[in-house]
Parts: sequence; structure tokens; C-alpha cells
Amino acid sequence: MMNSMKIPSKRSTLEKKLDKLILILFSVLFCMCLLGAIGSGIFINRKYYYLRFDNSEKQFDPDNRFVVAVLTMFTLITLYSPIIPISLYVSVEMIKFIQSTQFINNDLCMYHAESNTPALARTSNLNEELGQVEYIFSDKTGTLTRNLMEFFKCSIGGEVYGTGVSEIEMGTAQRSGAKMEVQKEPNAAREKGFNFDDARLMRGAWRNEPNPDFCKEFFRCLAICHTVLPEGDDSPEKIRYQAASPDEAALVTAAKNFGFFFYKRSPTTIHVRESHVEKMGKVQDVPYEILNVLEFNSTRKRQSVVCRYPDGRLVLYCKGADTVIYERLADSENDLKRTTRDHLEQFGAAGLRTLCLAYRDLSSDSYENWNEKYIQAKSSLRDREKKLDEVAELIEKDLVLIGCTAIEDKLQEGVPACIETLSRAGIKIWVLTGDKLETAINIAYACKLINNNMKQFIISSETDAIREVEDRGDQVELARFMKDTVKDELKRCYEEAKQYLRSASGPKLALVIDGKCLMYALDPTLRVMLLNMSLNCSSVVCCRVSPLQKAQVTSLVRKGAQRITLSIGDGANDVSMIQAAHVGVGISGQEGMQAVMASDFAIAQFRFLTDLLLVHGRWSYARVCKVVTYFFYKNLMFTLTQFWFTFRTGFSGQRFYDDWFQSLYNVIFTALPVIIIGLFDKDVNASLSKKYPELYKEGIRDTFFKWRVVATWAFFAIYQSLVLYYFVIASSTSGMNSSGKMFGLWDVSTMAFTCVVVTVNLRLLMMCNTITRWHHISVGGSILAWFIFIFIYSGVVLPKEQENIYFVIYVLMSTLYFYITLLLVPVAALFCDFVYLGVQRWFFPYDYQIVQEIHRHEPDNSRVGLLEIGNNDLSPDEARSFAIMQLPGQKSKHTGFAFDSPGYESFFASQAGVYVPQKAWDVARRASMRTRPKIPSKN
Amino acid sequence: MFVVCDCLLQVITICFAVGTIFIPIGLFSLQVSQSVLEIVDRYDVECVPPSFRSNKLEYIKDSSIPKNCSRYLQVNKHMKAPIYIYYQLDNYYQNHRRYVKSRSDKQLLYGLKYNYTGSCSPEDANNGLPIVPCGLIAWSLFNDTYSFFHGADALKVNRKNIAWESDRNHKFGKHVYPFNFQNGSLIGGALLDPAIPLSDQEDLIVWMRTAALPSFHKLYGRIEEDLHADEILEVKILNNYNTYSFGGRKKLVLSTSSWLGGHNNFIGIAYISIGSSFIFIALVFMLLHVKNPRPYGDTTNISWTWTGISS
Repeated sequence: MMNSMKIPSKRSTLEKKLDKLILILFSVLFCMCLLGAIGSGIFINRKYYYLRFDNSEKQFDPDNRFVVAVLTMFTLITLYSPIIPISLYVSVEMIKFIQSTQFINNDLCMYHAESNTPALARTSNLNEELGQVEYIFSDKTGTLTRNLMEFFKCSIGGEVYGTGVSEIEMGTAQRSGAKMEVQKEPNAAREKGFNFDDARLMRGAWRNEPNPDFCKEFFRCLAICHTVLPEGDDSPEKIRYQAASPDEAALVTAAKNFGFFFYKRSPTTIHVRESHVEKMGKVQDVPYEILNVLEFNSTRKRQSVVCRYPDGRLVLYCKGADTVIYERLADSENDLKRTTRDHLEQFGAAGLRTLCLAYRDLSSDSYENWNEKYIQAKSSLRDREKKLDEVAELIEKDLVLIGCTAIEDKLQEGVPACIETLSRAGIKIWVLTGDKLETAINIAYACKLINNNMKQFIISSETDAIREVEDRGDQVELARFMKDTVKDELKRCYEEAKQYLRSASGPKLALVIDGKCLMYALDPTLRVMLLNMSLNCSSVVCCRVSPLQKAQVTSLVRKGAQRITLSIGDGANDVSMIQAAHVGVGISGQEGMQAVMASDFAIAQFRFLTDLLLVHGRWSYARVCKVVTYFFYKNLMFTLTQFWFTFRTGFSGQRFYDDWFQSLYNVIFTALPVIIIGLFDKDVNASLSKKYPELYKEGIRDTFFKWRVVATWAFFAIYQSLVLYYFVIASSTSGMNSSGKMFGLWDVSTMAFTCVVVTVNLRLLMMCNTITRWHHISVGGSILAWFIFIFIYSGVVLPKEQENIYFVIYVLMSTLYFYITLLLVPVAALFCDFVYLGVQRWFFPYDYQIVQEIHRHEPDNSRVGLLEIGNNDLSPDEARSFAIMQLPGQKSKHTGFAFDSPGYESFFASQAGVYVPQKAWDVARRASMRTRPKIPSKN
Repeated sequence: MFVVCDCLLQVITICFAVGTIFIPIGLFSLQVSQSVLEIVDRYDVECVPPSFRSNKLEYIKDSSIPKNCSRYLQVNKHMKAPIYIYYQLDNYYQNHRRYVKSRSDKQLLYGLKYNYTGSCSPEDANNGLPIVPCGLIAWSLFNDTYSFFHGADALKVNRKNIAWESDRNHKFGKHVYPFNFQNGSLIGGALLDPAIPLSDQEDLIVWMRTAALPSFHKLYGRIEEDLHADEILEVKILNNYNTYSFGGRKKLVLSTSSWLGGHNNFIGIAYISIGSSFIFIALVFMLLHVKNPRPYGDTTNISWTWTGISS
């Protein structure tokens, strides 16, 4: 926490725009005052002898018109000051505070029961910003995924095992309309790292499969070929595996569940308790002598173990990425290879992480031969790693394919659906992760961010050319070379992207870029191109990026594109990104608290973003917009009536309304209803908000607080003020009741004010989407409050010099004229608004209004959809094969190589005694993982 | 529940309802207002002797010149009693800030017992003595007088009960008498009888209920007998009040009254025009609906493509 940056204070875009509006109002105020001041300077004249203009008072000194004008200016500023809606800020703060504490924090839809974590709004500043987010920057591990690898499926000897349906398949199926019943069989073996359900392999049943030998090799490979350390009791229930990557642990756990229980490791042996091998039900402990371990690294992408069976058989087990394994297979069994490749593709499309398993029987001669070279390489002092790699190549060949495994990098619940909903809402999601390219792409596939229909642009530093320069070791040259490469790549991609964009039905674009390239692409000279390029892509994946780069990318979009950004992450490495975005969201209850501490909102699951943005954000945005524009309108209208009056008072700055009317106008007579609207107004309910995510686009486009909207309000404010002022005074030139008595200034002004209060409150009712009894109570209450106030105020003698309002309301109410005017003026003033709203609704309806109409007969929440969303007739399988078929031929299809994860290499390195400098954020993440607070579960 | 003006029917119904309520009210009040008869006579120019027409200011300031003036008013229609007599002033800023505040309501109620009259400046004190009633409003009290003759017979003009009762009872003291009033070098307007308490000085009370606009009526009195058609009424005016220096106009207004007050077509016309606008809008909407109906939830109007959601 010592290293964490100072959390920058964030203000919402809407509020910044509001500041501009206030500035405009200030200049309008200034103009009005200037006009009045000039008028007063011209008006002042000794000829109005009854006003006794003389030198005694500077403001009414006809000999010095300039001073008169200046002083009148100040008078007018106080007079017109209600045009600045000061109470707006207070009301909006209050509304947002209640929105966040009562609505967001208490939403059961965003409550995660498992971890007992509700959503938490840590600031109330940014509620409406949630309704306008266009770009989401997401961390991967812990945010999109649970950081939990589970053995999910496998293919052994050309046969697929495992009946589970991955999240992404479920998403595909749902989209195509098929009902996916997820039945969880109670007897399915499940534990951490193992989510596999197929009776054909369990409890020795594999013996009856067509290829039991393959199965046996498969399981042994899983149980032997790894670098896992067992911990704790050597019983299957209690043992814990320490592995560099969760993938490895998952594989060993899988072997255990298949009956090949790895329980002990010594420096030279691996002990496996094998069941059902010789015959059903027989359990035997078998020690395998480990002769060599050929370690994993990112260039090799595979790992091999040479072991000797107790009976002397020498076997090399190898597992690795399909690309590298296939290169090294023996030239036979082509059918098996083809089916296994099909399976790999199938797994890959399902978002699973795959590994190929292979073995090779070795003769002791050839092994001894090789082992000498190996020992030599191992003991060499220079270029040891390179030499080891070369030696490994010698033995890792002529492999026999066993099959492949599919590990589900367990996405958080509902992530693909959430991402799909968000992208329908017009939100673009970028994944920024510290993981490797393959992992990142894997997850992007799993989340449906990238699919095979998309044109992918991959800018990676892992190319041979770059590696070659890297090997030369000249940092300056490397930097120059990298920069040029990145520049060329970027340029090429951009040109190509433009081509695709020009054609109407071109594929969607996706950009994948890694951290090193990003470092150069973020250079000021390339930044613009990077931005243009990435804004045109529907998904962007940045991998191997540092926390700083995450923040840089975020602010690139924030500042460069002027779009509203949201960052979501869970770990300490996401803090800078969370702080850089307009809105920062932390995933709570997973890793440490750093991300949450830096965030503006904390939610327990990624999928809660749907509720946070589409429901709360959208509502909040619409509500705050209404509140702001309404405040603007009511204060402008009120002040303008005063302004028109100034013209008829010789620009003297005489008040039209009593001081108390003016002071209480915002505080009592019009305050409550607008707060009610800020809290309860609801255009469509929560389930419709999520059903029609497109409604969110209104927020992205800033539909409700465009300058045009403000101008419309201003127009109606001017119109209404003219109607109110002239209608009220137009009739004050004749007797007002049958006794022929006349109204004075204060009678007229009180009547005008009554009309203003009624009009403004009725206008509020007209803009409500929902009218609850709270609306009736608040609007009725406000009007009633005015009458109660004026009854008391004009009924008691106040210790004031001037009793202007004394008895006024009783005089007014004794005349019929008062009631006739009170009926006429608000209706006349609201006539134009009424017509405008009718025309707008009928001819230029907002999207939400159409949705309201579609569902107008539904009381609430019923999901009787009149519209079928999506018209995809393909079944998930058909769709997938269709997608694979459409792949460009020259590229290998995505198969989802699993075997990499951050920290994997360094784990081996540390075992081998090689110090690899760890990234600071890795340390921080581990530290935070270790200190994960135990969450007590209630009840 | 959604308040959707979703049924166009609802909009049309509201429009028709408002229209059908407003138009009758408008017609009725217009008719009432038309039944009010008014005689208006501007006399500020005519009452200046022709020799002073070019220099009216000299005429009004010279107290030696008699200000008598006779006007003859033709009664066109039978006017039923009571007939209200108003004077109307134009371009007279009773609502000027300096003017409005130049009074002391406390002093009007409590008289000399109340000392603080700073707001009345410069008419708060004279020769070291406070002025009651103080302030510019009282100081500039209107002082033209009218008397009406029907041939040789004087018509009785009732000058009582011309101010609002609340003013008489609650704002002007029953035991407050004018004091030191119009004793300064400048005399702004009428003098007050120091023997009559302020609550009975109804001219003052009417004058001090300052008008909202620079053109206003003030009630002068009532004629409590009918005036018959084609009668000629002689008005003898004492044209004392100076509106010449600032180019103000003075008018005499005789008006009958109705339950809605005086002659005022505005309310009636406004009601009728608003009502008919609503009816018009209702018709337009109906026509549009018949010609070019928009079904509810018409998705062609929606901004996103409705079918292409699958991507």
C-alpha cells in the first residue's frame, strides 16, 4: 500500500459538462445584467420628479450615469442570481448519494452469495458515468476468469471423453436459441482442478474401452510427466499439489481421479499408486525412476520426462502445445492424428486450453548415447540453455501421439453472456493482461471477444527476426529494430484494416498486441495510428503488459478518443489502470484489497457489470440528466419572468417577487419532486434494461444531455416565462372584482409566483416516466407547501419595514380573477411542451419509449418476448464447424494451447537455481493472494 | 406503471377535454367583459389652456394659474350603477425600486411612535421633524379631483370604500394622523387633512398600493346612479397633478363592473385561443393518425437494427 499512488479524485463527464452549462448561465446572467445596467443608465432622468433622483444616493444620481449603471449592475446580479442553480449541486449530490448507498449497494442482483459480497459504491460521484461507458478495459486473471484450471475433457486414441459443456458453448447455444439444460449429476467427480464427467473412464471402466493401452499411457503420462510436488498426507483426499501453474495441478489431479495417484516424489523417483491396471480392483504402488526432466520454456512449449519402469522399460513422456508435438510425431497413425487434431480444434473453439500428450519407447542404447550428450550440455558453462534445448531436440522425436487434454480456464460465471450483452450495448471490451499471447487469445476466444470470423491482427514481439536481434544483445539496436518493426506492422495492419472497413460487409477486426510492441506503439509518433487502429477494432487484446502500460492504454483512449472508459480488475497490478479510467471497478473478495481500495465501485463478479452499467448506470444517467435539465429550466424560467419585469420598472432592479419567495423557490416549493424524479424515475424496468442492452447506447451518445436538449429546454423556459409574465400582467389594468378595486404590484407578483410554482411542478409530472404516489405526494405537497407558506406569511405581521405581502393572498383569493388565471396560465404555458412531447413521442421516439410501448401491457418483469432476439438457425455444433470452415487456410486453426501461465518459467528457473527477476506486480499479486482474507459465511 | 402518452387516444382526449373546458369559459368571460361599458377620456393635454400648450410645465408649476377644466362625456349606452371612476396614469413608474421602497408600513400603522423611517429618505423628515406619512409614495399623492354634473345637478360621487378593506383595517392606523406632511420646499402632490386618521384617507391608501406596471388605474370613487344613453356628462377637473415634466398621460375612466371585474377582453381571448389550439392539435393528431398510423412499439423507429443482434 505504500507504493500505491494517490487516488485521483474523479468527476463525471456529465458534471464537467454541467460546469460548462453553469459557465454559460453565468455569461447569460452577465449579459442580462449588462443590458439592465445600460437601460438604467439611460432611464435615469430628473424629469421623473416623483422619484427624486438626486446626488444623495449614488445609485440614483442622474449626473453620473456610469456609476448608476455599475451600481445597478450589482443590484441586478443579486436579482437574477437564481438563474444559477446552486441548489442543483446539493440536490444532485444527495440524489447520487442515495442512488449509490441505497440502490447499488443493496441490489440483490449484484450480491454474490458464495462470497457474501454485495456491490459497493465507493464513491457517489460517478453513478451517471456508469451510464455512458463506451470502453471497458478488463484484466484477465481473477476478473474474467476465476484463475482456476479444471480438467474438463480429453481425447484418448481418437476418442473424446468428457460430457461437460463449457461456458462458451453454453453461450453459443443460448444465442442460437436452443435450450441448454445444465443438469449436474450428483455423482460426477468434482474437486478443485477436476471437473470431468464421463463414466467410461472412471473407476477402471477404461479397461473396457476400445483403446485401453492408450488410456493407460495417457494416465501414466499425466501422472509422471510434470514437476508437481505433493504435500501433506498421501491419501487421495488430503494430498495437496504444489505446481507452477494451475494447469499442471489440474492434470495431476485428473490422473489421481482416473486411478493413477501420484503421491510421493523423491529426487529420482515418482511414486504412483495405480489402480485397475492389471485387473479390476487391484491397487499397486509403482515407483518410476525419473532419469531426465526436459523442462518447459516458452520456446520449447513442451516438457518431457524420461523414466524407467520398475520392469526396466524406458519411456519418454512428452506433453506440449499441439504445434510442437505434431512436428515431432512419428510418421504413422495418420488417422489418429487427424481425429485428434479435429478434437483439438473443437476444444479450442470451446475455449478450452489444450495439451497434446505423446510418448516414445526408448532403447537403452540410444538412451545412454543421448544421455551423455545431455550431461555434457548440462555441465557446459556457456549457453547452457541453448545447448540443452538442442540436445532435447535429439530425443524428442518419433513420438507416438496418445491424445490430448482440455483444461477449462474456468471463466467466471456468466462472463461470455455478460460480454455479449455489453457488446450489444455498444460497449467495447479490451482485455489487458499480463499473461502470454496464447493465454490471452485463449481467453478472448472463451469470452467470445474474438471468434474465427474475425480478422485478427497480431502484433507480437515473439518473432524470429526480433529474437535474432535480441540474441545479439545490443539494446540500442534492439530498440531501434523493434520500433521499426512495430511501426511497419502497425502501418500494414492499419492499411489492411482500412480496406476491410471500406467494404460494407467486411469481417469484424480484432487486434492482439503484446507488451513489448505496445511499449513502442505508445510512442508519441505511433500513438495516433495505434489509437485509430484500435478504435476500429471490435476487440483489442493486449498481453504481457505491465501495470503502467495498462494505465497508458487506458488514458490513450480516455484522452485520445475522448470516450468514457471503465477499467475493471482485481489485483494490485490493476490499480493504476483503475485509477486512470473514468470509472474504476474492482473485483472484491478475490485477491487482495488493493484494486478495491483504488476503485470507484467494487463488485464480486465480472457479470455484475451488466447490472451495474445497464441498469444502475443507465438509470442514474437518465435520472441525473433529467434533474439537471429540469433545474436548468426551472431556474431559467423563474429568472426570466423577473427579467421581463425589469424592462417595465425603468431598469431599476425592483424585485418582482418577494425576497422570501425567491429564496424558498428552490428550497421548498420545487425541491422535493425533482429529488423524487432523481431517485425513482424509471423508463424501463431492470429486466427490460438487460433484455434490450441497446438502450444503453442512448447514454453513450449522451442523448439526454446534448446541447440540443439543453437548447430545447431553454427555448421552452423562455416561452413559458413570457406566457407567465404577460398573461399575468396583461389583465392587471382593470378592476379585479365587482367592487372595482385594483391589484397592486405585490398582488400581481404573488399571483405570478403561484402560477410559476404550479407550472413548474406540473412540468415535472409531464417529464416523468413513472408516476408513483411519491410523485403525487411531492408535487402536490410542493404546491400545497406554497399555499401554506403564503397563508402564514401574508397572515402574520412580521418585524419588517415593509409589509408588502401582508394580506395579499386573501385579497387575491377573494377575487374570481385569481382562480381563472390560475387555471389559464399553467395550461397556456405548458401547451407548447405538451405538443412538443406528443410530437416527439409519436414521430421521433426514443428507443426506450418504443420498448415501453412494446411492453406496455406487461405489469412487470414478465418475459413474454414479442421479439425473437437472434435468428440463428444453426445448432452450436453446426455454427462451430461453420466457423472453422471459414477460417483462412494458411493459418493454423486456433486450438488453445494451455501450457503457459505467468510465473511458469520462473518456477522452473528457480528450481533449476536460475534467478529470474520477477516482475513487481507478480510479487504483489502473490503477496495479496497469500493474505486473502477469510470471508466468514453468514448463517 | 408506465405513464406512456402511449395511447395517442390519451393525448387526443386530453386535448379535447382541455379545449371543451376552455372555450366555454373563454366565451363566457369574453361576453361578460364585453358587457362592461367604459368611457375613457384623456384630459392632460386638453386641460392645458391653448396659450400654454407649448410649455405645459410652466402652466402646471405656476400656482397662480387656475387649474379648472371642464370635460364633456357622451354616454353611449345605458350604464348601470355602480359606475366606477378611475384615473389612469401612463408612463408613471410606481414600480421603480426607489419609489416602491420609499415607505414605512410600520409608521403608517403606528404613526410617530415608530421612529425608524430610513427607507423613506429623502421624504423622511423635514425641519428636524418626522413626516407622517413619510416617503416618496405619499409625497407624490395624486391630487387631481373630479366632480360630475348632469346639466346643473351635481352627481353624487361616493369616495368611501375604494380601498381594499385589509389595507384600511390592518395597514393604516386608525389613530395615526398626518403630521408635518408636504411642509417642505418641494410639494409633490396632494395635501392631507391632519384631522382625519390615515385609515380614513382612502385616496392615500389606494395610491399607496403601488401599481405593478407603469400604466395603471386607480379607483377614485363611485357614481351610484344609472347613466342613461345619450346623456352628456360634465366633468369638472382640477388639473393639479404634474405629469407634464415626464410626458405621462392622465385619463379619466368611467366603467361599470361585472363579477369578473372591469373591461378586460384578454382573459376571454386567451381562453378561447388556448382552447381552440388544443382542439386544433387534437384534430391534427387524429388526422395524422388516420393517414399515417404508427403502431405501438414500431421497431422501424428504433435506432439499432432490430434483427442483426446475433453478432
